[in-house]
Amino acid sequence: MRGLHVYILLAVAALALLFADRLSSYWMHVAIIAMFYGILASSWSLLAGYAGLFSLGHMAFASIGGYTSALLVQWYGIPIPVGMAAGVALCCALGGLIGWVCLRMSGPYLAIFTLGFSEIVRITFATEDDITAGMAGLHVERLFNTTSRLPYFYVAFALLVVSLLLMGVIVRSRWGLFLRAIREDEQAASASGVAVARFRILAFAIASGFAALAGSFYGHYIGILTPSLGGLDFMAVLVVMTVIGGMERLPTAVGGAFVVEFLLELLRGYGQWRLPLFGIILLLTMRFARNGLLTPLWLKFVQLGEPRAVTAMALRDVPQKDPAQ
Amino acid sequence: MSAGAELIRGAGLVKRFGGIVANDAVEFTVVEGDLVGLIGPNGSGKTTLISMLTGHLMPDGGEVVVRGRGMRGQAAHLYAAMGVARTFQLTQLFGRMTVLENLLVPGLTRPGSTWRAVVQQARSTLDFLKLGHLEQLHAKNLSGGQQKLLELGRCMMLEPAILFLDEPFAGVHPHLRDELITRIQELHEAGRTFVVVDHDMESILRLSKRLVVMARGRKIADGPPAVVREDQAVLAAYAGS
Amino acid sequence: MSWDYIFVQVANGAVIGIIYALIAVGVTLIFSILKIVNFAHGDLYMLGGYCAYYIIALLGAPPLLAMLLSMAALFVLAIVLERLLLTPLYSDATERKDEYGLIITFGLAFFLRNIAVIIFGPYPLKPPSFIPGVQHIGEMTVTNDRLFAGGVGIVLILALLYFMHRTIWGQALDAVSQSRESAAIVGINSGRFNSVAFGIGAALAAAAGALIAPIFSLAPDMGVLPNIHAFVIVILGGMGSVLGSIFAGILLGEAENLFTAFFPDPTRALAYTNAFGLLILMVVLILRPQGFFGRRHLRME
Repeated sequence: MRGLHVYILLAVAALALLFADRLSSYWMHVAIIAMFYGILASSWSLLAGYAGLFSLGHMAFASIGGYTSALLVQWYGIPIPVGMAAGVALCCALGGLIGWVCLRMSGPYLAIFTLGFSEIVRITFATEDDITAGMAGLHVERLFNTTSRLPYFYVAFALLVVSLLLMGVIVRSRWGLFLRAIREDEQAASASGVAVARFRILAFAIASGFAALAGSFYGHYIGILTPSLGGLDFMAVLVVMTVIGGMERLPTAVGGAFVVEFLLELLRGYGQWRLPLFGIILLLTMRFARNGLLTPLWLKFVQLGEPRAVTAMALRDVPQKDPAQ
Repeated sequence: MSAGAELIRGAGLVKRFGGIVANDAVEFTVVEGDLVGLIGPNGSGKTTLISMLTGHLMPDGGEVVVRGRGMRGQAAHLYAAMGVARTFQLTQLFGRMTVLENLLVPGLTRPGSTWRAVVQQARSTLDFLKLGHLEQLHAKNLSGGQQKLLELGRCMMLEPAILFLDEPFAGVHPHLRDELITRIQELHEAGRTFVVVDHDMESILRLSKRLVVMARGRKIADGPPAVVREDQAVLAAYAGS
Repeated sequence: MSWDYIFVQVANGAVIGIIYALIAVGVTLIFSILKIVNFAHGDLYMLGGYCAYYIIALLGAPPLLAMLLSMAALFVLAIVLERLLLTPLYSDATERKDEYGLIITFGLAFFLRNIAVIIFGPYPLKPPSFIPGVQHIGEMTVTNDRLFAGGVGIVLILALLYFMHRTIWGQALDAVSQSRESAAIVGINSGRFNSVAFGIGAALAAAAGALIAPIFSLAPDMGVLPNIHAFVIVILGGMGSVLGSIFAGILLGEAENLFTAFFPDPTRALAYTNAFGLLILMVVLILRPQGFFGRRHLRME
């Protein structure tokens, strides 16, 4: 049946919404955090997987978004959604600025630069503790005053769906083609008429905006923010999640976030051993299944709905032989 | 073909790399309907000239004028938007995108283009290049000659006024090379202007209506092939290289 | 603000700088030969420090010998890791090698950092001094360990320079770093050099870790900041330039130390010291990505 995979996804989403209230508070929290990571992973994959810009500053923008919203709400009493929007707007602008600054930088230079940026942000937030409360943690006004996490579940769900829809539209449009072209060969893209500079800046701006969205939600959910949100540890986990899932597609990135987050919780009994374990999985994935562990599954899934001609997108990672040769 | 409007003009172009002067005050004008063969010994600065004329390199001196418009400081994609297309010495394609997608990219950069129209244009371009059956293949899986053809196709999608081809015949099977020459001629008949760089003298002479010779960063000859071939300076340049 | 104070600060800065240089030189070497930025370098430094500590604690070896053994151990470990993880970099079938190198070393760093917490425990450890005691300079003191670290660091750096410019192997290494193809034409087997380069880089980092351990203690995350500093230095000094890394390393160590010593607000000084180095990094990347000494690096084809 055409589009079967879409119907299946819709059904799963509907079930998730309907039965959410059956989840224990603990697992609901896990689901919410998974969706938080989902937004981050998919937006990072837009930057690193589609446009080829391996930025280590993604969590820094989540952090900036979080603190911006928290502080604006605290100082001026504005409604939380407005605060979040302000955080998103600021990070879009800042992200675009970083994208502009990084225009001439490739691969490792870009990574190191964004790493430097990320650390400066973290250090500044930690040190200026009269404003940010530093490592002690900033108290953030929560979205809802309930003890139940259910409203947060619905909000996280809505934010994730909206994010994926928006990013999905971008990715399937000509912009998506241009971003991938930039990743494949910037010079050829330029020669083909793609305004490379504009799209690199745009990719950074858009991705950073989504990171801020996730970060500000996180602040208003947990109720506390620390500078470590923008730190290397969180960023590393994000990279692990996205690469294991598959960094070149939105669904596999989100899938990676969900799977790793749930496994982290399931394996909680193993304490410290979880992180080195995922480190090994990451290394093995990069070494032997570079396009991600979930990618082959996702491709099979998509084929359910489009059996005749496997779509061009799906063919991206399958090694092929030229029939004429 | 009678001379037409001036399409692109490089005036006094200079480019230095470290201590080397790759292009030394080069004057180069192309008019509508030209089919120029640009030749010269290795290292004479041909690719550098093309890169400056297509926006991929900023000149250290002189300027580039496209259709009467000064292009100082403009990025390469703006040249493409103005109808200046180029291929690269080592084919540069979007390797992990399909053959079709490789053509969709340039087509979709044009303002007012719709997916449907561009896909149609892409498919007919592929048919013209006899690559239609390879539509869903990744570009990196094509043979060398097919990749050259695809790069030509990528240029064509821009509906360019002028195409700069950098060594289109390098390493290409003779049969495919004849294909390529035929396609270029067909496109030229249909009104496109070409500047072709190559070392394959036979192909260049078959194609060119005008021959430009460079040596050591300078233009040393510019005229009809019959005349240029007898030019002493040209012979000396090749003999000495 | 006495001259003694300034002298001691400068001396301390030089010591830190030499240690930074040791680490950065490794990163540069690996970048030159393997064409990747080793994000796991700081963790090799960390492992080197711990390795020396346990050689002293479990085998009762004298500290200097422990350092040398640790260098050897990390050299071997590095070669194993290179064979396991980095061989795709040499195959034409691997695309986007820059990205591969980034992610795989990033992943390696993540793994090493977290496994270290489990194996060594999260609490700082302090190995015994190389040379106990202090030197008095006027009213200030400098620990012997710092002087020793600086001295040994200089010896190692000189040894490396000698190796690279005077010995056959070293010159071959230098040749490969400049051009694999040309080196192959004259008969140098580049494949072997990848392992050697990675090994030497790791060994130098291990030495740095072992030298710094009695001064600042060991912790599983001690490699994070030096890693970043190494990148600052390598970029300042120019990716691919060993001499550049040495000078830039000493310069940065000095600059940071003086920054901390003279920053107006002492409570914030230490925290912002790191940010200071990063700011320099960012400025240099924007203005002059090839650093002050560097050769333009070619993208890996």
